[in-house]
Amino acid sequence: MPDPFAAYSDTVRAHFRTPRNAGGFAAGHERILAGSAGQRRYGREVEFQLQVTAEGRIGDCRYRVYGCPATIALCSLTSEALKGRTPAEAAGFSVVTLAEQLGLPAEKRAAAVTVEDAVRAAAGRYNAAPAISPAVPQLQA
Amino acid sequence: MPEKIIYLDYAATTPVDPRVAQKMAGFLTCEGLFANPASAHTPGRKARGAVEQARMQVAALVNAEPGEIIFTSGATESDNLAIKGAAHFYRDKGRHVVTSRIEHKAVLDTCKQLERDGFEVTYIKPNADGLVEPQAVAQALRPDTVLVSIMHVNNEIGTANDIAAIGAIVHAQGAWFHVDAAQSAGKLPIDLKQMPVDLMSFSGHKVYGPKGIGALYVRSQPHINLDPLIHGGGHEHGLRSGTLATHQIVGMGEAYRIAREEMPKDVTHCSALRQQLWRALHVTVPEALLNGHPSQRVCGILNVGFPGIEGESLLFACHDLAVSSGSACTSTDKAPSFVLRALGRDDQLAGSSIRFSVGRFTTKEEVQTAARIVSEEYHRLQELAPAAG
Amino acid sequence: MSIFLDHNATTPLAPRVLDAMLPLLRGTHGNPASVHRFGREARAALDRAREQVAALVNAQAPQVIFTGGGTEADNLALRGVCRDVPHGRLLVSSIEHAAVQETAEALSKDGWTVERIPVDGECRVDLHALEKLLDGGARLVSVMLANNETGAIQDVHAAAGLAHARGVLLHTDAIQAAGKMPVDFTALGADLMTLSAHKLNGPRGVGALIRNRRVDLVPQITGGGQEQGLRGGTENLAGIVGFGAAAELARAELDARSSQVRALRARLEAQLKKLSGVRIFAEHADRLPNTVQFGIAGYAGEWLVMELDRRGFAVSSGSACHSASGRPSHVLLAMGCDEAVARSAVRVSLGVENSAADVDGLLAALGEITVRRRGAVALA
Repeated sequence: MPDPFAAYSDTVRAHFRTPRNAGGFAAGHERILAGSAGQRRYGREVEFQLQVTAEGRIGDCRYRVYGCPATIALCSLTSEALKGRTPAEAAGFSVVTLAEQLGLPAEKRAAAVTVEDAVRAAAGRYNAAPAISPAVPQLQA
Repeated sequence: MPEKIIYLDYAATTPVDPRVAQKMAGFLTCEGLFANPASAHTPGRKARGAVEQARMQVAALVNAEPGEIIFTSGATESDNLAIKGAAHFYRDKGRHVVTSRIEHKAVLDTCKQLERDGFEVTYIKPNADGLVEPQAVAQALRPDTVLVSIMHVNNEIGTANDIAAIGAIVHAQGAWFHVDAAQSAGKLPIDLKQMPVDLMSFSGHKVYGPKGIGALYVRSQPHINLDPLIHGGGHEHGLRSGTLATHQIVGMGEAYRIAREEMPKDVTHCSALRQQLWRALHVTVPEALLNGHPSQRVCGILNVGFPGIEGESLLFACHDLAVSSGSACTSTDKAPSFVLRALGRDDQLAGSSIRFSVGRFTTKEEVQTAARIVSEEYHRLQELAPAAG
Repeated sequence: MSIFLDHNATTPLAPRVLDAMLPLLRGTHGNPASVHRFGREARAALDRAREQVAALVNAQAPQVIFTGGGTEADNLALRGVCRDVPHGRLLVSSIEHAAVQETAEALSKDGWTVERIPVDGECRVDLHALEKLLDGGARLVSVMLANNETGAIQDVHAAAGLAHARGVLLHTDAIQAAGKMPVDFTALGADLMTLSAHKLNGPRGVGALIRNRRVDLVPQITGGGQEQGLRGGTENLAGIVGFGAAAELARAELDARSSQVRALRARLEAQLKKLSGVRIFAEHADRLPNTVQFGIAGYAGEWLVMELDRRGFAVSSGSACHSASGRPSHVLLAMGCDEAVARSAVRVSLGVENSAADVDGLLAALGEITVRRRGAVALA
């Protein structure tokens, strides 16, 4: 068997080793959209939190992830890619395409779909829960 | 070369002991005893002498007669020869074979082939400690059972079955008993004059010998017959044809000689390292679970389940350690270990279990570093994960 | 120290092959099935050897299945295509090595019909007879590329053409041929081909079956899924790497080696023929350049082999795998020799480390043995 990890590029390895933006926002943060996808018992669980600025753009994001190295790296890369986008753009962000660009094998498509679903679930709350309260000052320092 | 990587995969294969390598080199080139041991001339007879000495060395480790040792290309071939050979030779006596669910693939795949040949196979489930209980064997036996094949030590979790008790039950029923001892030779005492075993498989490369050589013990009293697997030339009492690989055989002989002389030392060394590793992991990762019976086991193998983290990530995170997630021979497929599943571990835990196996050349420092890497990565991945719920 | 003139039985390892193998016997090398770096490095070494062996016989690397030796590969070829299919006919040449002969016999006990393809007096497979036998239908034809005793080279290409015209598979045992003559798996049109490392200055205990991937094979040694699931068991890493190195060396040195041994054999045969009562078997067939099998009327081959051994020359009476059986050569019997002639056979098989002095020494010893014996007979 060739290296089962051979499909993991240096970028994937780096993001797995040092995931960017990992974790969750402290409680009390405003304008946080949260969504999750996957189930641990099926080997993959992702929670994404998007913080939306007063201008209606994603200012920052956090995630928690249980899963294979590809899932972890995709969360990290996605979290970087989402910043500055509108929630609607985030909902349309294709993690599957990102996975393909990274050269991940086809069997890792499910990992990409799970991350995509979590982001979409979070972004989808933007209109559903119009928690936009312009009165609250922007939290981002 | 991967200087940084710590090799803790002795159950998959061991490095060749330098003394073995040196001995082998003398049987290959023009200057050495390279002749075909089947040849009638003097060089051939000298090569034959070396083969016979190696046969004695292998026999001595397990207290068998040299004439009861057949050289093969490895333990997998030995398992194939034992199981297919006995089942086919005695097929008129019955067509039922008993084995366990946690045997090595060499046994399980061979039993599958027997099923296609019209045999019925009963696969015994081990208990929660990973042991095949003698009572379970007794229940599986039938009047038409011709052969029972149960491993001595399991390659993934290191548990050691009670071969004496199982063998007594098998023989009382009048069936033949095969034991795969690839993981136990040189690590646990084996006395074939005392053990009720008819066929036993051995490996060279699990005992600091070369890969590509193994042996099958075939009891002479009472004599068990086998249908050969490989025909042509009548070598090894007609049971295994093919030119004898003198250097390989001599290498295995030397490896078994060393194993016999140094077993107490090896066992003390490996037990201490295994204990050190388990303690270190247990302290830093208290939720870690030991897979397999805590004491009825071989000294070098430690299989630990890490709850709450995903297996592939754990293994990838521990990339600087040469460890195994299940048997090396099955790590080509990603399905969770069938052995751990058979023990009742769920997919998650079976998937995040690591087999560490230490050996003659492992050091305390390596074990310490390994434990540190595993616990650091475990905690890192756990912090990354959402709260379990 | 004996002069070794028995290279069809086995060959000494080439020093460069040993150099390739030793690093794998020293230091830590993983199980090629393991996913960690040690295992992957072992896997890479296997892949390289697979390329080298494939190149020797103009095959592709994925066509190479490594086995525990040539005998096992022959068994895998025959049993592998005959298992799990309805019993049928097998056509096996009458001069095959025991590995093929005895496997065919075992299959005949299982219910297969085994037919022997005859050879002519020069040890050449009779293609007309093969054609007739094929008309009765068959699963597989097995014809060796070069005979281990006489060295006679067979027209495997033609045999494959005949077999394929009737939808029959062809296996060729090329153990003796590889490294001694150009071998082209693709051009021969064989479906299966057996190779062995230790006949071409590689290590014992490793061989290969080259398989056209159209051919369905059932593994004979199961467990672990190695070699595309066709041969279970942890790979003989050092052995396989040695095989690869030996194959590469044999390919590079093929012309030099064959002209060297051909010249030595010509020297040997020219002098041999001057002894009275000498018959060179398959003399007029196309033969391997290193092999001569001969008989001297009135002398038992076994006795000559022993006398030569006492004088420090290691030769054989035929196949090493048969040397203990006491039976006359089945190859010579198939060629129509009577039993006394078949029992007279002595085989000299030369190798690269042999010199003209070795050949001259052998001739001198033969002369001495035969003269002494004649004297003894005369006195009696």
